[in-house]
Amino acid sequence: MPANELSLHTAVTDLYCDHHGWLHGWLRKRLGNGFDAADLAQDTFVRVLKARNALEIREPRPYLSRVANGLLVDLFRRRSLEKAYLEALACMPELTQPSLEEQAIMLQALLEIERMLDGLGARVRQTFILSQFDGLTYAQIAERLGISLRTVNNHMAKAMEHCCLMQIQMQLA
Amino acid sequence: MTPLSSRQTQALNSAARWYARLESGQATEQDRQAWARWHAEDSAHQQAWQRVEAVREQLAGVPGNLAAPALHGVARSRRQVLRGMLVVASAGSLGWIGLRSETRTQLFADERTAVGERRTLTLADGSTVMLNTDTRINVHFDTTQRTLELLSGEILVSTAADPGHRPFSVKTRDGRVLALGTRFIVRCDPDLTQVAVLEKAVQVSLPDGTTHQRLEAGQRMDYSAFSLGKIGANDVCVGAWQQGSVIAIDRPLGDLLAELSRYRSGVLRCDPRIAQLKISGAFPVDDTDRALAALESGFALKVTRYTRYWVNVSV
Repeated sequence: MPANELSLHTAVTDLYCDHHGWLHGWLRKRLGNGFDAADLAQDTFVRVLKARNALEIREPRPYLSRVANGLLVDLFRRRSLEKAYLEALACMPELTQPSLEEQAIMLQALLEIERMLDGLGARVRQTFILSQFDGLTYAQIAERLGISLRTVNNHMAKAMEHCCLMQIQMQLA
Repeated sequence: MTPLSSRQTQALNSAARWYARLESGQATEQDRQAWARWHAEDSAHQQAWQRVEAVREQLAGVPGNLAAPALHGVARSRRQVLRGMLVVASAGSLGWIGLRSETRTQLFADERTAVGERRTLTLADGSTVMLNTDTRINVHFDTTQRTLELLSGEILVSTAADPGHRPFSVKTRDGRVLALGTRFIVRCDPDLTQVAVLEKAVQVSLPDGTTHQRLEAGQRMDYSAFSLGKIGANDVCVGAWQQGSVIAIDRPLGDLLAELSRYRSGVLRCDPRIAQLKISGAFPVDDTDRALAALESGFALKVTRYTRYWVNVSV
């Protein structure tokens, strides 16, 4: 192992020894169960390892809790989307239900779409989903949301621009 | 940060506008010809359009009859998810059930302000509470208590005397602030609570029930559910938002931008190389674009707007 790799490795190990305990407790308090907390604590250090910046972390506690918080939000979002997805599946006639494998692939695709839409204003998001997934025309959307056609058009453009930028960012990450 | 040139971001912006126009169902043959000319005239336009196609392809990965209800149903933003988490945290081990079955009702708050909004409420007992940007509170008043639950954001409370002598307190995830006839500010950040006393005194109590701290007028303190921070003195920066400003005195740029971003939608990023740059000044929160312009001209910084919602500050 080259010297800088070694010191990076040591820094993460030190971080882990010093902070794993309270981080696990912190997560446990938020999650209300020890298993998810153990997973997320582990994931937090994996993130730090991947980010390769352990040597530059000056204040480990705020830093680690910020990383862990991000993971926590992802977990909640994933579960919340999963739940909505399963409800939607349950409403489908049995004949048209996708196989379990297809379901898993679609859930993954949905999660990525959800991440792409993250950060859009509620109205813009709603407009975009109504057009892209509900298949409504601009006129129907305008009527449903009580906004002008021009606003629908602007929302659509804004949503697409946002999605393009998010997709670029997600591919870089 | 996305390494896009301004030519690329402009091309993306116009590609998105073309997409919206063509998707409308009202596009004419002339529109399509105009699009073809736009598409042909610049390689950046072609690249941007490819990106639009890639997004459409990704969206097509899930059938609409599944995606629509799932996406409409899911908690809509990071903040809403965060609010959901507070509920889970306080509900302890039953939290999961609560979140999974009642996310939407629990996300409800009695009073809220939008990003960039400030509003003063008068409560039933005559006390007033001023809500800063992006703030949510619940009001619980009954025969024995007057409690405000601060779910997120920041409030300035001025308590009124109560004939029934009911205690007045502000509850956050991290503990309780009991008012001792007073004016004070409470702010709920993602990992800690800040309290600053402007008049008289308050008592801060942590959830363990045994840790208490009294703070007098002019004092401030940060605390988490587990520990109390050091007591500091208020300065001119505390509560400047009441007058619509953020005041910085030798404040690191990264910090200041994080503070300003509370008052605007979208992403406001700071180049890490200049995050420690010390800045002093008063910056308007009601017009954060003006605040950014002031930073740009006053401190020779570069403010790049990828979109209105996506701004980068660099050297």
